[in-house]
Amino acid sequence: MTDPTGPWASATDIADAVSRGSVRAVAVAEAALARIGAANPALGAYTDVTAERTLAMAAAVDEAVAAGRPVGALAGVPFAVKNLYDVAGLPTRAGSKINRERAPAASDAVLVQRMGAAGAVLLGTLNMGEYAYDFTGENAHDGPCRNPHDPDRMSGGSSSGCGVATAAGLAPVSLGSDTNGSLRVPASLCGVFSLKPTYGRLPRTGTFPFVDSLDHLGPFARTARDLAAAYDVLQGPDAGDPGCARRPREPAAPALAARRRLRVGLLDGWFYENAGEQARAAVAGVADALAPHADVDALRLDEAEAGRAAAYLVTNAESADFHLRRLRARAADFDPDTRDRFLAGALLPAAWVARARRVRHWWLERALAAFQRFDLLVAPATPCPAPAGGATVLALAGRTLPLRPSLGLLATPFSCIGLPVTTAPVFGEGRMPIGVQLVARPWREDVCLQAAHLLERAGAAAACPPVASRLRSDAA
Amino acid sequence: MDWEAYLAAVAPAVGLPVDPGWRGGIVRFLGLAAEMAATLDAVALADDHLELDAVLVLQEARHD
Repeated sequence: MTDPTGPWASATDIADAVSRGSVRAVAVAEAALARIGAANPALGAYTDVTAERTLAMAAAVDEAVAAGRPVGALAGVPFAVKNLYDVAGLPTRAGSKINRERAPAASDAVLVQRMGAAGAVLLGTLNMGEYAYDFTGENAHDGPCRNPHDPDRMSGGSSSGCGVATAAGLAPVSLGSDTNGSLRVPASLCGVFSLKPTYGRLPRTGTFPFVDSLDHLGPFARTARDLAAAYDVLQGPDAGDPGCARRPREPAAPALAARRRLRVGLLDGWFYENAGEQARAAVAGVADALAPHADVDALRLDEAEAGRAAAYLVTNAESADFHLRRLRARAADFDPDTRDRFLAGALLPAAWVARARRVRHWWLERALAAFQRFDLLVAPATPCPAPAGGATVLALAGRTLPLRPSLGLLATPFSCIGLPVTTAPVFGEGRMPIGVQLVARPWREDVCLQAAHLLERAGAAAACPPVASRLRSDAA
Repeated sequence: MDWEAYLAAVAPAVGLPVDPGWRGGIVRFLGLAAEMAATLDAVALADDHLELDAVLVLQEARHD
Protein backbone atom coordinates (compact mmCIF):
# COMPACT_ATOMS: atom_id res chain seq x y z
CA MET A 1 0.00 0.00 0.00
CA THR A 2 1.26 3.49 -0.82
CA ASP A 3 1.42 6.13 1.90
CA PRO A 4 -2.25 7.12 2.38
CA THR A 5 -1.26 10.74 2.85
CA GLY A 6 0.77 10.78 -0.38
CA PRO A 7 -0.37 12.14 -3.76
CA TRP A 8 -0.76 8.75 -5.46
CA ALA A 9 -2.61 6.85 -2.75
CA SER A 10 -5.75 5.24 -4.12
CA ALA A 11 -9.14 6.16 -2.69
CA THR A 12 -9.77 2.57 -1.61
CA ASP A 13 -6.40 2.40 0.17
CA ILE A 14 -7.10 5.69 1.96
CA ALA A 15 -10.55 4.52 3.03
CA ASP A 16 -9.12 1.23 4.26
CA ALA A 17 -6.38 2.92 6.29
CA VAL A 18 -8.73 5.53 7.77
CA SER A 19 -11.39 2.95 8.63
CA ARG A 20 -8.83 0.81 10.46
CA GLY A 21 -7.51 3.84 12.30
CA SER A 22 -4.00 3.47 10.93
CA VAL A 23 -4.07 7.02 9.58
CA ARG A 24 -6.21 9.98 10.54
CA ALA A 25 -8.52 11.49 7.96
CA VAL A 26 -7.29 14.89 9.13
CA ALA A 27 -3.71 13.95 8.22
CA VAL A 28 -4.85 12.87 4.74
CA ALA A 29 -6.81 16.11 4.31
CA GLU A 30 -3.96 18.33 5.54
CA ALA A 31 -1.56 16.69 3.11
CA ALA A 32 -4.00 17.15 0.25
CA LEU A 33 -4.54 20.82 1.11
CA ALA A 34 -0.78 21.39 1.26
CA ARG A 35 -0.33 19.86 -2.21
CA ILE A 36 -3.09 22.02 -3.62
CA GLY A 37 -1.49 25.11 -2.13
CA ALA A 38 1.82 24.24 -3.73
CA ALA A 39 0.67 23.07 -7.18
CA ASN A 40 -2.55 24.90 -7.94
CA PRO A 41 -1.08 28.30 -8.85
CA ALA A 42 0.71 26.66 -11.78
CA LEU A 43 -2.06 24.27 -12.81
CA GLY A 44 -5.25 26.29 -12.26
CA ALA A 45 -7.32 23.26 -11.29
CA TYR A 46 -9.13 24.60 -8.21
CA THR A 47 -11.27 27.75 -8.19
CA ASP A 48 -12.27 27.48 -4.53
CA VAL A 49 -10.60 25.50 -1.75
CA THR A 50 -12.91 24.79 1.20
CA ALA A 51 -10.11 24.22 3.72
CA GLU A 52 -12.11 24.94 6.90
CA ARG A 53 -14.91 22.63 5.82
CA THR A 54 -12.39 20.02 4.63
CA LEU A 55 -10.78 19.76 8.02
CA ALA A 56 -14.13 19.70 9.82
CA MET A 57 -15.39 16.85 7.64
CA ALA A 58 -12.17 14.93 8.16
CA ALA A 59 -12.32 15.45 11.93
CA ALA A 60 -15.87 14.10 11.97
CA VAL A 61 -14.67 10.93 10.23
CA ASP A 62 -11.85 10.53 12.76
CA GLU A 63 -14.30 10.97 15.63
CA ALA A 64 -16.54 8.25 14.20
CA VAL A 65 -13.59 5.88 13.82
CA ALA A 66 -12.41 6.60 17.36
CA ALA A 67 -15.91 6.00 18.72
CA GLY A 68 -16.28 2.74 16.86
CA ARG A 69 -19.19 4.06 14.81
CA PRO A 70 -19.58 2.82 11.23
CA VAL A 71 -17.92 4.94 8.56
CA GLY A 72 -18.70 4.92 4.87
CA ALA A 73 -16.99 3.20 1.98
CA LEU A 74 -14.98 6.35 1.20
CA ALA A 75 -13.98 7.25 4.75
CA GLY A 76 -11.46 10.08 4.67
CA VAL A 77 -11.10 10.10 0.87
CA PRO A 78 -10.49 13.64 -0.40
CA PHE A 79 -12.55 14.66 -3.42
CA ALA A 80 -13.39 17.78 -5.39
CA VAL A 81 -16.18 18.79 -7.76
CA LYS A 82 -16.51 20.74 -11.00
CA ASN A 83 -17.76 24.19 -10.11
CA LEU A 84 -21.20 23.59 -11.60
CA TYR A 85 -22.03 21.44 -8.55
CA ASP A 86 -23.73 23.31 -5.72
CA VAL A 87 -21.53 23.55 -2.65
CA ALA A 88 -23.16 25.20 0.33
CA GLY A 89 -21.77 28.67 0.88
CA LEU A 90 -20.33 29.12 -2.61
CA PRO A 91 -21.94 30.66 -5.70
CA THR A 92 -22.26 27.98 -8.38
CA ARG A 93 -20.21 29.72 -11.03
CA ALA A 94 -20.37 27.05 -13.78
CA GLY A 95 -17.20 28.50 -15.23
CA SER A 96 -18.86 31.84 -15.94
CA LYS A 97 -18.39 35.42 -14.85
CA ILE A 98 -22.14 36.03 -14.68
CA ASN A 99 -22.98 33.21 -12.28
CA ARG A 100 -20.52 34.23 -9.63
CA GLU A 101 -22.90 37.07 -8.82
CA ARG A 102 -25.49 34.48 -7.74
CA ALA A 103 -26.28 33.96 -4.09
CA PRO A 104 -24.20 31.24 -2.44
CA ALA A 105 -25.76 27.80 -2.67
CA ALA A 106 -27.88 26.98 0.38
CA SER A 107 -27.07 23.28 0.25
CA ASP A 108 -24.86 20.78 -1.53
CA ALA A 109 -25.73 19.02 -4.76
CA VAL A 110 -27.16 15.54 -4.13
CA LEU A 111 -23.99 13.82 -5.34
CA VAL A 112 -21.85 15.94 -3.02
CA GLN A 113 -24.16 14.93 -0.17
CA ARG A 114 -23.80 11.26 -1.11
CA MET A 115 -20.01 11.50 -1.16
CA GLY A 116 -20.11 13.12 2.27
CA ALA A 117 -22.45 10.43 3.59
CA ALA A 118 -19.91 7.84 2.44
CA GLY A 119 -17.22 9.57 4.50
CA ALA A 120 -15.48 11.41 1.66
CA VAL A 121 -14.00 14.81 2.43
CA LEU A 122 -14.62 17.78 0.12
CA LEU A 123 -11.51 19.75 -0.86
CA GLY A 124 -13.14 22.39 -3.05
CA THR A 125 -14.48 23.23 -6.48
CA LEU A 126 -12.74 22.89 -9.81
CA ASN A 127 -12.18 25.01 -12.89
CA MET A 128 -14.21 24.27 -16.02
CA GLY A 129 -15.08 25.64 -19.44
CA GLU A 130 -17.73 28.35 -19.33
CA TYR A 131 -21.22 26.86 -18.92
CA ALA A 132 -19.64 23.50 -19.90
CA TYR A 133 -19.49 24.48 -23.60
CA ASP A 134 -15.87 23.52 -24.06
CA PHE A 135 -13.47 20.71 -24.90
CA THR A 136 -10.18 22.62 -24.37
CA GLY A 137 -9.87 23.44 -20.66
CA GLU A 138 -9.42 27.14 -21.38
CA ASN A 139 -11.46 29.75 -19.55
CA ALA A 140 -11.27 33.51 -20.06
CA HIS A 141 -12.40 34.28 -16.50
CA ASP A 142 -10.43 31.81 -14.37
CA GLY A 143 -7.50 31.09 -16.68
CA PRO A 144 -6.59 27.85 -18.39
CA CYS A 145 -6.36 24.50 -16.67
CA ARG A 146 -2.88 23.24 -17.48
CA ASN A 147 -2.11 19.64 -18.30
CA PRO A 148 0.03 18.22 -15.46
CA HIS A 149 1.96 16.04 -17.94
CA ASP A 150 2.97 19.13 -19.94
CA PRO A 151 1.70 22.51 -18.72
CA ASP A 152 2.03 23.95 -22.22
CA ARG A 153 -0.71 21.61 -23.41
CA MET A 154 -4.47 21.59 -22.95
CA SER A 155 -6.16 19.68 -20.16
CA GLY A 156 -9.32 19.07 -22.16
CA GLY A 157 -12.76 20.15 -21.01
CA SER A 158 -15.19 21.00 -19.95
CA SER A 159 -14.43 19.08 -16.71
CA SER A 160 -10.91 20.42 -16.99
CA GLY A 161 -10.16 20.88 -13.30
CA CYS A 162 -11.32 17.33 -12.61
CA GLY A 163 -8.88 15.84 -15.11
CA VAL A 164 -6.02 17.99 -13.84
CA ALA A 165 -6.68 17.57 -10.11
CA THR A 166 -6.99 13.81 -10.33
CA ALA A 167 -4.00 13.40 -12.67
CA ALA A 168 -1.78 15.71 -10.60
CA GLY A 169 -2.35 14.01 -7.25
CA LEU A 170 -4.59 16.83 -5.97
CA ALA A 171 -7.75 14.70 -5.56
CA PRO A 172 -7.93 10.92 -5.93
CA VAL A 173 -11.58 11.26 -6.92
CA SER A 174 -13.36 14.17 -8.60
CA LEU A 175 -16.87 14.64 -9.92
CA GLY A 176 -17.58 16.18 -13.31
CA SER A 177 -20.23 16.31 -15.98
CA ASP A 178 -20.53 15.20 -19.58
CA THR A 179 -22.93 16.53 -22.20
CA ASN A 180 -20.94 15.74 -25.33
CA GLY A 181 -17.68 14.34 -23.95
CA SER A 182 -16.70 16.46 -20.95
CA LEU A 183 -15.91 13.50 -18.69
CA ARG A 184 -14.04 11.70 -21.47
CA VAL A 185 -11.98 14.41 -23.19
CA PRO A 186 -10.17 15.59 -20.03
CA ALA A 187 -9.71 11.98 -18.87
CA SER A 188 -8.09 11.25 -22.23
CA LEU A 189 -5.84 14.29 -22.31
CA CYS A 190 -4.82 14.08 -18.63
CA GLY A 191 -4.47 10.29 -18.48
CA VAL A 192 -6.99 9.23 -15.83
CA PHE A 193 -10.11 7.04 -15.70
CA SER A 194 -13.63 8.43 -15.91
CA LEU A 195 -17.11 6.97 -15.99
CA LYS A 196 -19.98 8.53 -17.88
CA PRO A 197 -22.88 6.43 -16.64
CA THR A 198 -26.09 5.75 -18.55
CA TYR A 199 -28.21 8.87 -19.08
CA GLY A 200 -30.58 9.02 -16.12
CA ARG A 201 -28.45 6.89 -13.80
CA LEU A 202 -27.14 9.61 -11.47
CA PRO A 203 -29.28 12.50 -10.23
CA ARG A 204 -28.26 15.98 -11.32
CA THR A 205 -30.12 17.70 -8.50
CA GLY A 206 -28.21 20.77 -7.38
CA THR A 207 -26.03 21.17 -10.46
CA PHE A 208 -26.13 23.97 -13.01
CA PRO A 209 -27.47 22.60 -16.32
CA PHE A 210 -26.03 22.87 -19.79
CA VAL A 211 -28.34 20.74 -22.00
CA ASP A 212 -30.89 18.93 -19.88
CA SER A 213 -31.62 16.25 -22.48
CA LEU A 214 -27.91 15.35 -22.72
CA ASP A 215 -26.39 16.19 -19.33
CA HIS A 216 -24.74 13.37 -17.36
CA LEU A 217 -22.69 13.45 -14.13
CA GLY A 218 -19.91 11.06 -13.23
CA PRO A 219 -16.60 10.45 -11.45
CA PHE A 220 -12.89 10.62 -12.34
CA ALA A 221 -10.31 8.44 -10.57
CA ARG A 222 -6.80 7.04 -11.03
CA THR A 223 -7.84 3.38 -10.84
CA ALA A 224 -10.81 1.42 -12.10
CA ARG A 225 -11.45 0.19 -8.56
CA ASP A 226 -11.63 3.76 -7.23
CA LEU A 227 -13.91 4.69 -10.10
CA ALA A 228 -16.30 1.86 -9.24
CA ALA A 229 -16.16 2.67 -5.51
CA ALA A 230 -17.11 6.30 -6.16
CA TYR A 231 -19.79 5.37 -8.69
CA ASP A 232 -21.38 2.96 -6.24
CA VAL A 233 -21.87 5.56 -3.52
CA LEU A 234 -23.30 8.03 -6.06
CA GLN A 235 -26.05 5.73 -7.34
CA GLY A 236 -29.75 5.84 -6.54
CA PRO A 237 -32.76 7.83 -7.70
CA ASP A 238 -33.67 11.31 -6.55
CA ALA A 239 -36.99 13.00 -7.07
CA GLY A 240 -35.29 16.35 -7.62
CA ASP A 241 -34.14 15.32 -11.10
CA PRO A 242 -37.03 14.37 -13.40
CA GLY A 243 -34.50 12.85 -15.81
CA CYS A 244 -33.18 10.41 -13.20
CA ALA A 245 -34.45 6.87 -13.63
CA ARG A 246 -36.13 5.22 -10.68
CA ARG A 247 -33.69 2.36 -10.60
CA PRO A 248 -32.28 0.86 -7.45
CA ARG A 249 -28.55 0.91 -6.85
CA GLU A 250 -26.72 -1.76 -8.84
CA PRO A 251 -23.24 -1.94 -7.26
CA ALA A 252 -20.48 -2.30 -9.85
CA ALA A 253 -17.44 -2.82 -7.64
CA PRO A 254 -18.24 -6.50 -6.94
CA ALA A 255 -18.36 -7.12 -10.71
CA LEU A 256 -14.85 -5.78 -11.38
CA ALA A 257 -13.21 -9.17 -11.21
CA ALA A 258 -15.93 -10.96 -13.20
CA ARG A 259 -14.51 -13.63 -15.45
CA ARG A 260 -17.22 -13.57 -18.11
CA ARG A 261 -15.88 -13.60 -21.65
CA LEU A 262 -16.76 -10.40 -23.43
CA ARG A 263 -17.71 -9.94 -27.06
CA VAL A 264 -15.79 -6.82 -28.08
CA GLY A 265 -16.39 -4.70 -31.17
CA LEU A 266 -13.49 -2.50 -32.30
CA LEU A 267 -15.03 0.49 -34.02
CA ASP A 268 -13.59 0.80 -37.50
CA GLY A 269 -14.68 2.99 -40.41
CA TRP A 270 -15.62 6.54 -39.36
CA PHE A 271 -14.02 6.12 -35.93
CA TYR A 272 -10.74 4.89 -37.43
CA GLU A 273 -10.71 7.54 -40.13
CA ASN A 274 -11.13 10.30 -37.53
CA ALA A 275 -8.39 9.02 -35.22
CA GLY A 276 -4.78 10.08 -35.34
CA GLU A 277 -1.84 7.70 -35.19
CA GLN A 278 -1.56 7.62 -31.39
CA ALA A 279 -5.30 7.08 -30.94
CA ARG A 280 -5.22 4.15 -33.35
CA ALA A 281 -2.22 2.67 -31.56
CA ALA A 282 -3.97 2.96 -28.19
CA VAL A 283 -7.02 1.09 -29.47
CA ALA A 284 -4.79 -1.60 -30.98
CA GLY A 285 -3.00 -2.03 -27.65
CA VAL A 286 -6.31 -2.34 -25.82
CA ALA A 287 -7.51 -4.92 -28.35
CA ASP A 288 -4.37 -6.98 -27.82
CA ALA A 289 -4.80 -6.87 -24.05
CA LEU A 290 -8.48 -7.84 -24.25
CA ALA A 291 -7.95 -10.64 -26.76
CA PRO A 292 -7.10 -13.42 -24.25
CA HIS A 293 -10.31 -12.63 -22.35
CA ALA A 294 -12.69 -11.73 -25.16
CA ASP A 295 -13.86 -12.41 -28.67
CA VAL A 296 -12.67 -9.33 -30.53
CA ASP A 297 -13.95 -8.34 -33.94
CA ALA A 298 -14.05 -5.18 -36.04
CA LEU A 299 -17.31 -3.30 -36.44
CA ARG A 300 -18.39 -0.34 -38.56
CA LEU A 301 -20.91 1.94 -36.97
CA ASP A 302 -20.65 4.90 -39.29
CA GLU A 303 -24.11 6.19 -38.33
CA ALA A 304 -22.20 7.73 -35.42
CA GLU A 305 -21.32 10.66 -37.68
CA ALA A 306 -25.00 11.57 -37.92
CA GLY A 307 -25.39 10.98 -34.18
CA ARG A 308 -22.61 13.45 -33.56
CA ALA A 309 -24.24 16.00 -35.87
CA ALA A 310 -27.57 15.53 -34.08
CA ALA A 311 -25.94 16.11 -30.69
CA TYR A 312 -24.21 19.23 -32.02
CA LEU A 313 -27.48 20.85 -33.10
CA VAL A 314 -29.51 19.77 -30.07
CA THR A 315 -26.75 21.12 -27.82
CA ASN A 316 -26.41 24.37 -29.74
CA ALA A 317 -30.14 25.11 -29.76
CA GLU A 318 -31.12 23.86 -26.30
CA SER A 319 -28.23 25.56 -24.51
CA ALA A 320 -28.78 28.83 -26.36
CA ASP A 321 -32.43 28.81 -25.31
CA PHE A 322 -31.40 28.15 -21.71
CA HIS A 323 -29.06 31.14 -21.77
CA LEU A 324 -31.22 33.39 -23.97
CA ARG A 325 -31.95 36.03 -21.34
CA ARG A 326 -28.26 36.16 -20.40
CA LEU A 327 -27.32 36.42 -24.07
CA ARG A 328 -29.76 39.26 -24.62
CA ALA A 329 -28.67 41.23 -21.57
CA ARG A 330 -25.03 40.34 -20.97
CA ALA A 331 -23.46 38.74 -24.03
CA ALA A 332 -20.33 40.84 -23.50
CA ASP A 333 -19.79 39.11 -20.15
CA PHE A 334 -19.52 35.67 -21.75
CA ASP A 335 -16.19 34.05 -22.56
CA PRO A 336 -15.63 35.05 -26.21
CA ASP A 337 -14.87 31.43 -27.03
CA THR A 338 -18.36 30.30 -25.98
CA ARG A 339 -20.38 33.44 -26.68
CA ASP A 340 -20.33 33.28 -30.47
CA ARG A 341 -21.39 29.64 -30.49
CA PHE A 342 -24.23 30.30 -28.04
CA LEU A 343 -25.39 33.25 -30.17
CA ALA A 344 -25.34 31.11 -33.31
CA GLY A 345 -27.35 28.45 -31.48
CA ALA A 346 -30.13 30.94 -30.73
CA LEU A 347 -30.57 31.53 -34.45
CA LEU A 348 -30.79 28.00 -35.86
CA PRO A 349 -33.71 27.07 -38.13
CA ALA A 350 -36.22 25.05 -36.08
CA ALA A 351 -36.44 22.33 -38.75
CA TRP A 352 -32.74 21.51 -38.24
CA VAL A 353 -33.25 20.93 -34.54
CA ALA A 354 -36.42 18.86 -35.00
CA ARG A 355 -34.61 16.67 -37.49
CA ALA A 356 -31.68 16.32 -35.09
CA ARG A 357 -34.07 14.89 -32.49
CA ARG A 358 -35.40 12.36 -35.01
CA VAL A 359 -31.90 11.34 -36.13
CA ARG A 360 -30.90 10.91 -32.50
CA HIS A 361 -33.57 8.25 -32.13
CA TRP A 362 -32.55 6.65 -35.45
CA TRP A 363 -28.90 6.48 -34.29
CA LEU A 364 -29.90 4.96 -30.94
CA GLU A 365 -31.71 2.10 -32.72
CA ARG A 366 -28.67 1.35 -34.83
CA ALA A 367 -26.28 1.44 -31.90
CA LEU A 368 -28.52 -0.85 -29.86
CA ALA A 369 -28.60 -3.31 -32.77
CA ALA A 370 -24.80 -3.56 -32.50
CA PHE A 371 -25.18 -4.79 -28.93
CA GLN A 372 -26.95 -7.89 -30.21
CA ARG A 373 -23.50 -9.02 -31.37
CA PHE A 374 -21.27 -7.28 -28.83
CA ASP A 375 -21.08 -6.58 -25.09
CA LEU A 376 -18.54 -3.81 -25.42
CA LEU A 377 -17.53 -1.31 -28.10
CA VAL A 378 -14.04 0.21 -28.17
CA ALA A 379 -13.04 3.54 -29.75
CA PRO A 380 -10.58 6.35 -29.02
CA ALA A 381 -11.85 9.01 -26.62
CA THR A 382 -10.17 11.81 -28.55
CA PRO A 383 -8.64 11.95 -32.03
CA CYS A 384 -5.25 12.92 -30.57
CA PRO A 385 -3.45 13.55 -27.27
CA ALA A 386 -3.43 17.01 -25.70
CA PRO A 387 -2.96 19.81 -28.26
CA ALA A 388 -0.84 22.84 -27.46
CA GLY A 389 -2.52 25.46 -25.29
CA GLY A 390 -4.18 28.16 -27.37
CA ALA A 391 -4.43 26.01 -30.50
CA THR A 392 -7.54 26.74 -32.57
CA VAL A 393 -7.39 24.13 -35.32
CA LEU A 394 -7.06 20.35 -35.40
CA ALA A 395 -5.29 18.63 -38.30
CA LEU A 396 -7.01 15.31 -38.85
CA ALA A 397 -6.99 12.89 -41.77
CA GLY A 398 -5.79 15.55 -44.19
CA ARG A 399 -8.38 18.09 -43.06
CA THR A 400 -8.07 21.17 -40.89
CA LEU A 401 -10.96 21.32 -38.41
CA PRO A 402 -11.93 23.93 -35.79
CA LEU A 403 -10.43 22.50 -32.62
CA ARG A 404 -12.94 23.62 -30.02
CA PRO A 405 -15.93 21.65 -31.35
CA SER A 406 -13.84 18.82 -32.85
CA LEU A 407 -11.83 17.56 -29.89
CA GLY A 408 -14.90 15.65 -28.71
CA LEU A 409 -15.74 14.32 -32.14
CA LEU A 410 -15.40 10.64 -31.17
CA ALA A 411 -17.03 10.99 -27.75
CA THR A 412 -20.19 12.88 -28.70
CA PRO A 413 -22.02 10.04 -30.50
CA PHE A 414 -22.28 8.00 -27.29
CA SER A 415 -23.50 10.75 -24.96
CA CYS A 416 -26.01 11.65 -27.68
CA ILE A 417 -27.78 8.35 -26.95
CA GLY A 418 -26.88 8.05 -23.27
CA LEU A 419 -24.75 4.89 -23.37
CA PRO A 420 -22.41 4.19 -20.42
CA VAL A 421 -18.71 4.75 -21.18
CA THR A 422 -15.56 4.26 -19.15
CA THR A 423 -12.48 6.08 -20.42
CA ALA A 424 -9.25 4.17 -19.80
CA PRO A 425 -5.88 5.99 -20.02
CA VAL A 426 -3.10 4.66 -22.25
CA PHE A 427 0.45 5.96 -21.92
CA GLY A 428 2.75 5.16 -24.80
CA GLU A 429 6.47 5.13 -23.99
CA GLY A 430 7.57 8.74 -23.64
CA ARG A 431 4.31 10.12 -24.96
CA MET A 432 1.37 12.11 -23.71
CA PRO A 433 -1.58 9.97 -22.58
CA ILE A 434 -4.68 9.28 -24.62
CA GLY A 435 -7.93 7.65 -23.56
CA VAL A 436 -9.86 4.73 -24.98
CA GLN A 437 -13.64 4.56 -24.65
CA LEU A 438 -15.18 1.32 -23.39
CA VAL A 439 -18.87 1.54 -24.29
CA ALA A 440 -21.62 -0.82 -23.07
CA ARG A 441 -25.35 -1.15 -23.61
CA PRO A 442 -27.64 0.95 -21.40
CA TRP A 443 -27.43 0.31 -17.64
CA ARG A 444 -24.37 -1.98 -17.96
CA GLU A 445 -21.77 0.25 -16.33
CA ASP A 446 -20.48 -2.94 -14.72
CA VAL A 447 -19.29 -4.17 -18.13
CA CYS A 448 -17.41 -0.91 -18.84
CA LEU A 449 -15.76 -1.06 -15.43
CA GLN A 450 -14.93 -4.76 -15.70
CA ALA A 451 -13.12 -4.08 -18.99
CA ALA A 452 -11.26 -1.10 -17.52
CA HIS A 453 -10.15 -3.19 -14.55
CA LEU A 454 -9.05 -6.00 -16.85
CA LEU A 455 -6.96 -3.58 -18.94
CA GLU A 456 -5.39 -2.18 -15.80
CA ARG A 457 -4.41 -5.64 -14.56
CA ALA A 458 -2.97 -6.44 -17.97
CA GLY A 459 -0.85 -3.28 -17.85
CA ALA A 460 -2.53 -1.85 -20.95
CA ALA A 461 -4.20 1.06 -19.15
CA ALA A 462 -3.09 2.99 -16.08
CA ALA A 463 -2.93 6.49 -14.68
CA CYS A 464 0.73 7.49 -14.35
CA PRO A 465 2.14 10.31 -12.22
CA PRO A 466 3.27 13.28 -14.32
CA VAL A 467 6.91 13.10 -15.30
CA ALA A 468 7.48 15.82 -17.85
CA SER A 469 11.01 14.72 -18.61
CA ARG A 470 9.94 11.41 -20.12
CA LEU A 471 7.80 13.08 -22.77
CA ARG A 472 9.04 13.13 -26.31
CA SER A 473 9.11 16.55 -27.85
CA ASP A 474 7.11 15.33 -30.83
CA ALA A 475 4.06 14.29 -28.79
CA ALA A 476 1.26 15.88 -30.82
CA MET B 1 -25.76 30.65 -48.13
CA ASP B 2 -25.10 34.23 -47.03
CA TRP B 3 -24.90 33.75 -43.27
CA GLU B 4 -24.03 37.43 -42.76
CA ALA B 5 -27.40 38.37 -44.25
CA TYR B 6 -29.17 35.64 -42.26
CA LEU B 7 -27.61 36.89 -39.05
CA ALA B 8 -28.59 40.47 -39.80
CA ALA B 9 -32.19 39.42 -40.47
CA VAL B 10 -32.79 36.92 -37.67
CA ALA B 11 -30.89 38.29 -34.67
CA PRO B 12 -33.31 41.23 -34.20
CA ALA B 13 -36.26 38.83 -34.41
CA VAL B 14 -34.84 36.87 -31.48
CA GLY B 15 -33.95 40.05 -29.63
CA LEU B 16 -30.22 39.45 -29.67
CA PRO B 17 -27.89 42.43 -29.77
CA VAL B 18 -24.83 41.52 -31.86
CA ASP B 19 -21.65 43.53 -31.54
CA PRO B 20 -19.99 43.94 -34.95
CA GLY B 21 -16.86 42.33 -33.55
CA TRP B 22 -18.74 39.11 -32.85
CA ARG B 23 -20.26 38.67 -36.30
CA GLY B 24 -17.36 36.74 -37.80
CA GLY B 25 -17.47 34.13 -35.02
CA ILE B 26 -21.24 33.78 -35.16
CA VAL B 27 -21.19 33.37 -38.94
CA ARG B 28 -18.49 30.72 -38.61
CA PHE B 29 -20.61 28.73 -36.16
CA LEU B 30 -23.74 29.11 -38.30
CA GLY B 31 -21.75 27.63 -41.16
CA LEU B 32 -20.62 24.74 -38.95
CA ALA B 33 -24.21 24.13 -37.86
CA ALA B 34 -25.24 24.08 -41.52
CA GLU B 35 -22.65 21.36 -42.15
CA MET B 36 -24.18 19.33 -39.32
CA ALA B 37 -27.67 19.90 -40.73
CA ALA B 38 -26.49 18.65 -44.12
CA THR B 39 -25.19 15.47 -42.50
CA LEU B 40 -28.60 14.94 -40.90
CA ASP B 41 -30.37 15.68 -44.15
CA ALA B 42 -28.53 12.80 -45.77
CA VAL B 43 -30.03 10.30 -43.31
CA ALA B 44 -32.91 8.40 -44.89
CA LEU B 45 -35.61 8.76 -42.24
CA ALA B 46 -39.06 7.29 -42.76
CA ASP B 47 -41.45 9.88 -44.19
CA ASP B 48 -44.62 8.37 -42.74
CA HIS B 49 -44.00 8.60 -39.00
CA LEU B 50 -42.19 10.69 -36.42
CA GLU B 51 -39.56 9.38 -34.03
CA LEU B 52 -38.80 12.32 -31.81
CA ASP B 53 -36.34 11.43 -29.08
CA ALA B 54 -38.13 13.01 -26.15
CA VAL B 55 -41.66 12.10 -25.17
CA LEU B 56 -43.35 13.74 -22.21
CA VAL B 57 -44.19 11.08 -19.64
CA LEU B 58 -46.82 12.17 -17.16
CA GLN B 59 -46.71 10.99 -13.58
CA GLU B 60 -49.74 10.24 -11.46
CA ALA B 61 -51.07 13.42 -9.88
CA ARG B 62 -50.20 13.76 -6.22
CA HIS B 63 -53.06 14.37 -3.80
CA ASP B 64 -52.02 15.79 -0.48
